[in-house]
Amino acid sequence: MRPLPQPLLETQKRGAGVPFLTIAFRRREGGVERLRFARWYQGSEPTGPHAIASPGDGSLVRARIAGGQLLYQRVASPSPTSDFSSWAALGSAHRAVALAAKGHRLLLAYVQNDALLVRESSDYGATLSAPSVVLPAPTGAMHLAAALGAEGEAAVFLATSSQVSVVRKSGSTWGSPAAWPHSLASISGLAAHHQGDYNLVVTGVDSAGRSGVWALVYGDGHRWPKGAWSPMWVLQVAHAGSQVSFSSPSLALGEVYRLCFLERFQGMVSHSRAYLTHMPLAAEFSDVIWREPLPTDVGEAMALAIGPGSAWLSTPSGLWHAPLPGPSLEARGHLLAMEVQEEPFGGYMRLLLDDSEGLLRAAGLMEPGAEVEVGIGYQTAAGPLASPLPCHWVEEVVHRWEGGRALVEVLARPFWGLVEAFRARHQFAWAEGEANIFGLLAVILGRAGVPFSSLSYSAAAVNLRPAFALHPGQSALEAVRRLLAMVPDVLVPVGPYALLKEPQLQESPVYSYGDGHPIVRAWRRLEPPSANRVQVFGKTVFLEGFLWDSVGQVGDRLAQVRAPELPTAPDVQSRLEAELGRLRRTPMAILEAPPNCGLELYDVVEVTETPALPPGRYRVMAIRTVFNARRGQYRQTVSLAPP
Amino acid sequence: MQALWGTVRAFNSTLYTATVQVDGSLSVWLEGVPVARGIPAAEVVPGRRCLIVLAEPTNPRDGVLVAVFQP
Repeated sequence: MRPLPQPLLETQKRGAGVPFLTIAFRRREGGVERLRFARWYQGSEPTGPHAIASPGDGSLVRARIAGGQLLYQRVASPSPTSDFSSWAALGSAHRAVALAAKGHRLLLAYVQNDALLVRESSDYGATLSAPSVVLPAPTGAMHLAAALGAEGEAAVFLATSSQVSVVRKSGSTWGSPAAWPHSLASISGLAAHHQGDYNLVVTGVDSAGRSGVWALVYGDGHRWPKGAWSPMWVLQVAHAGSQVSFSSPSLALGEVYRLCFLERFQGMVSHSRAYLTHMPLAAEFSDVIWREPLPTDVGEAMALAIGPGSAWLSTPSGLWHAPLPGPSLEARGHLLAMEVQEEPFGGYMRLLLDDSEGLLRAAGLMEPGAEVEVGIGYQTAAGPLASPLPCHWVEEVVHRWEGGRALVEVLARPFWGLVEAFRARHQFAWAEGEANIFGLLAVILGRAGVPFSSLSYSAAAVNLRPAFALHPGQSALEAVRRLLAMVPDVLVPVGPYALLKEPQLQESPVYSYGDGHPIVRAWRRLEPPSANRVQVFGKTVFLEGFLWDSVGQVGDRLAQVRAPELPTAPDVQSRLEAELGRLRRTPMAILEAPPNCGLELYDVVEVTETPALPPGRYRVMAIRTVFNARRGQYRQTVSLAPP
Repeated sequence: MQALWGTVRAFNSTLYTATVQVDGSLSVWLEGVPVARGIPAAEVVPGRRCLIVLAEPTNPRDGVLVAVFQP
């Protein structure tokens, strides 16, 4: 249950409070801004190496190499009307250029006659130091990436045709190059950013001929020891012979890490496309969880930068801007009616809003994909207070004109809608032992744009590492259902997150109805579960279990589970208990009560007094919250099951 | 039970498994798919079309490549 402030708790327990609801719309997915880029510049500069950075004063710095010259551009206060066509020549340069910015510092690295040079700035890129040779020729550098660490610390990563090495600066001294312990057959791009450690993305081809986008970390003492290299983790891969290749990664950090890279398909009808992706909220770089890359309509390499209030995409001849954070819309005063159904694997939210003044339409946020956060609460002695329901995402908006009023109907769904909408773009497959259930859920939910964490988890969620696949065109919802079927755990929506929870038979109640909170109505339904005898067939072990009370009532009703992924008796036993737990939690009662503003799915509550229900502990299996201003209706209906 | 169409990309005659490009997956292929022993190794040729039957749709080890053919 969401924690509630004491005045709100006291008011809702009295059962006759004045409703207070909040609504906010944002252009977000899973709590992460959906960047909507607008093109600010279109020129005729030739394609070539280029880089972008946005220092802490909000200025925009770009660099490119054309005709053997290093060209530099700084726009102090970028706007759609700024001049993005002026470039200052900084001397000769070849093959690669990189930029990094952090606060007032800026680092420009480039290759000149096969030597690695840098120029630095401490005034947001307004002035640059004289060129300094960090590595003399021959470096063999084909690609560069730069990152700024703590004050006085920096690193330049350079990739030859198949090797990556790093040169670090500490104080005012650049050190010697250190090579990575990995190998690739070829490298087609490199990106870096410092946050605790130096985080890198490399594109190229491995020794098996697979093209890939890989993430890795060069330690700076945060999660990895200083100077240590992490393994390479696959972020995107294409098998040898698929004629798909990747290049030109660009990495930036806003509220989360974001990445841009170029995918090229050289089949019968070839194409190139820049893709954008981001990490879910709260994911660490080394978790290697990324949203499924989103296609852009740009067919060339793009550089990505994030600065104060802005995200930028750049090519030598183009510049795109998106506000970050994006706009939000508070619509509290417009709400006429609301119905929210929270349930396992589904649910919805319906809103009816008054838009007679046209403010909602004008805001441009009432559209499919928008994130809706509704808070339910009461007017309390301490003022109006509300607790946020899980985030929903808009699927449908209907504008109506009725009785002289403009009305807006909104249908939104919780994270399950995002999960269901995600269809695998390609084959996903994990070999047995490669990832546990927790990790598989994190990756699949992450691909759908849903941040994932846990309230609690079972041993099976951590120990079970089955072979698993998600086939092209298959919905992530089916995959998540199948993963959850292997463990006793459930997913609870909290804010934009999907949180794993292991329901415990002996869980203590978090709230009390009856004496503690008035009950308006109650129903009790006596119905057997869909099965009361479960047989689990593991790889070599067979076990069965019973719900004896139900067997006594209606005889045995069989459910059989094939589980060839389970090799041992404890594994099969755990699966059996999970199946019996799910059957035990068949909803058998419904309560109607004034809304409990903090109630969450799978909470265990205590019912102390109602003729329809025996007193005891029950688990919340569905919640329906209804508000209707015209009818003065503010109610919550709660489906209950044995704990 | 689920059936998947695909194209054979590689065959391991020792393990009797195939690498299959499942239709719809341009860049990533399914590796280690057991091949029915009734299919002669010489017939599991890269480029041929094939049919995989999965008892459990999300477990690629719980299925078998049941047919190869040349359309």
